[in-house]
Amino acid sequence: MIEIVATLSRKRFKLDAHVALTHRVTALFGPSGAGKSTLLNVIAGIAHPDSGRILIDGVALFDAQQKIDIPVHQRQIGLVFQDHRLFPHLSVERNLRYGAHRFESAAQQKGLEEITALLELGSLLRQKPYQLSGGEKQRVALGRALMSKPRLLMLDEPLASLDKRLKSQILPYLKRVAEEVEIPMIYVSHSMDEITQLTDHVMHIAHGKVHAAI
Amino acid sequence: MLELVKFTPAELTILLLSLKVAIFCVLVISIPAIATAWLLARKSFYGKSLLDSLVHLPMVLPPVVPGFILLVLLGRQGWIGKYLYEYFGISLAFTWVGAVVASAVMAFPLLVRAARQGIAQVDRQLEIAAQTLGAHPLRVFFTITLPLALPGIITGLILAFSRSLGEFGATITFVGNIEGETRTLPLAIYTYTQVPDGDIPALRLVILSLLLALGALMLSEKLERKANRHIEHQDD
Amino acid sequence: MIKQLAVLVSLCVSAWMPMRVAYADDSIKVFAAASLTNVISQIAKQYEQENTANQTEIRTSFAASSALAKQIEKGAPADIFISADTQWMQYLQNKKLIQANTQVNLLGNQLVLIAPAGKRFKVNMEKGFDIAAAFSGKLCTGDPAAVPVGIYAKQSLTALNWWSSLAPKLVGTQDVRSALVLVERGECDAGIVYETDANISDKVEIVAKFPESSHEPIVYPLGLVVGAGSNAVGFYRYLSSPQAHAVFTKYGFTVLAK
Repeated sequence: MIEIVATLSRKRFKLDAHVALTHRVTALFGPSGAGKSTLLNVIAGIAHPDSGRILIDGVALFDAQQKIDIPVHQRQIGLVFQDHRLFPHLSVERNLRYGAHRFESAAQQKGLEEITALLELGSLLRQKPYQLSGGEKQRVALGRALMSKPRLLMLDEPLASLDKRLKSQILPYLKRVAEEVEIPMIYVSHSMDEITQLTDHVMHIAHGKVHAAI
Repeated sequence: MLELVKFTPAELTILLLSLKVAIFCVLVISIPAIATAWLLARKSFYGKSLLDSLVHLPMVLPPVVPGFILLVLLGRQGWIGKYLYEYFGISLAFTWVGAVVASAVMAFPLLVRAARQGIAQVDRQLEIAAQTLGAHPLRVFFTITLPLALPGIITGLILAFSRSLGEFGATITFVGNIEGETRTLPLAIYTYTQVPDGDIPALRLVILSLLLALGALMLSEKLERKANRHIEHQDD
Repeated sequence: MIKQLAVLVSLCVSAWMPMRVAYADDSIKVFAAASLTNVISQIAKQYEQENTANQTEIRTSFAASSALAKQIEKGAPADIFISADTQWMQYLQNKKLIQANTQVNLLGNQLVLIAPAGKRFKVNMEKGFDIAAAFSGKLCTGDPAAVPVGIYAKQSLTALNWWSSLAPKLVGTQDVRSALVLVERGECDAGIVYETDANISDKVEIVAKFPESSHEPIVYPLGLVVGAGSNAVGFYRYLSSPQAHAVFTKYGFTVLAK
């Protein structure tokens, strides 16, 4: 379903990825500095590999040889960052709706209701990001990415900045998303504990190198 | 003492002309200045530092220099003005439009600087996040960058407005000091100081200028506070 | 606190003192009408060359007579004042700023109508002529409210019944040379200046001359300012000498004082 071949050379880092994913929920595991975020950035189009190709369900997002490089905003890849990145000037509801602006209002409303229910965001809708706790912000970030109906959802260490108590609060929501939402997911983490609660299919990355077919 | 507040119709005309020129000046430069600010804040390209220097030039030159350059370019016998006059009958000297042009040149760098600062401090990660949510770069600019850069941009707009109100050197060099057309507040004050019995009217206009400047500063502060409250992000 | 207040007060007091006191050098300061820029500069240089023994230095300031009168009134350090009309000399006389019996009517001049070179237009200097239609664009001259050339211009235009039709096209500049420059640049399609100004520029041409009867006689009075330095008298007298007269005549001024 997802095929990624990418090389990227930087000053002190070299990415060498050769990955074929057939399961819906996959994890990327590796220590800090291994290149996890770099790989996600490459997939999302934020970083440009020196060579390779990226295909999702046969659609080429990037192909160095054929000179295909679809811009970020057209790749339909949802990204949940470690630092939530909620828009501070918009309410929670408007943050959620941000990625869904292209959809018809009825569809948008339905999506909002479903996600709000799934992640229990009802009481937060009118608030502004600065009023939320760390865990709440991550839930909103997750919901926002889902609302844009991406073809692939990537989560870059979403729990890393939360304490143990919050982590255990959010994990159920992640599980729920992994089980109930029919979107392929790549979950990135340096914690095997988190990963094993979500999926059995794990690729390992170390020193920029990840070769896997799972 | 009372004569210091009795403004004559001529003086009100001067005030209205100054306000008109300043408002049009800000309108004319807003979009180009914000676009330039964005370019300088976000993009790197060949010739960027040249552009940066050109933009800042009016700020470091004595105002009569840009005024003279405008004359050479846009005067009736100017390189460009020649054709403007021959084919379109457009002549900028002695017109309030020319005064707007002079103000625009002098105020442009001020707005670019302030807007650039405002844009630069917008977290780029937010812009990237917006793109991953399907927002076209232009949409990112209008829905994320611009609103978050607003306090800086507002400061810039008011600075530009005030600069235009105070513009003297470039204006008098380029479009002269014509009553009702280009005689803005500073030029009027200057004219009154050159004429016997002009001290009281000059003083009245000076008081007016002070009030305008104070008003602009207070408005700028109020608007900035309001914009910041709307953004309201605590550093986390 | 008291110390700061004392400093502030003494600063304010010294700011009110006449500027003349600040000047300690003994150069001769000549304030002259703008139309005299070239001719007085030359005469001053001549005088300096003839008096190198005394190391006399002449500093000139040229502007509209009204502006100069205002500056002298405010204490500007002038030794000699030459106005382009008697009004502004009288103004200073009334303020007792001109030394008694030093006023001399020095020069005369001719008022002319000019156009940018190559853009002359046809004019009949008579009352019925439709002057407003004779040229497109603006007419530049000194500000008729205060600048002598503008005052003379308004008198002439009124005498010819041209004032009401030309007033909307009129641009009043701060002195006669500014008006000249604007016509040179083609920003003004017509101008009213002195004949001596038109002669200096090859970028304008004289379209017509205003009859002397249409305005008050153009008279340039000369006077010594109260408080003038002792060496100013020498140059004051020199201005009425045959050497100076020769230069005035060369530039086209009428010499009045004999």
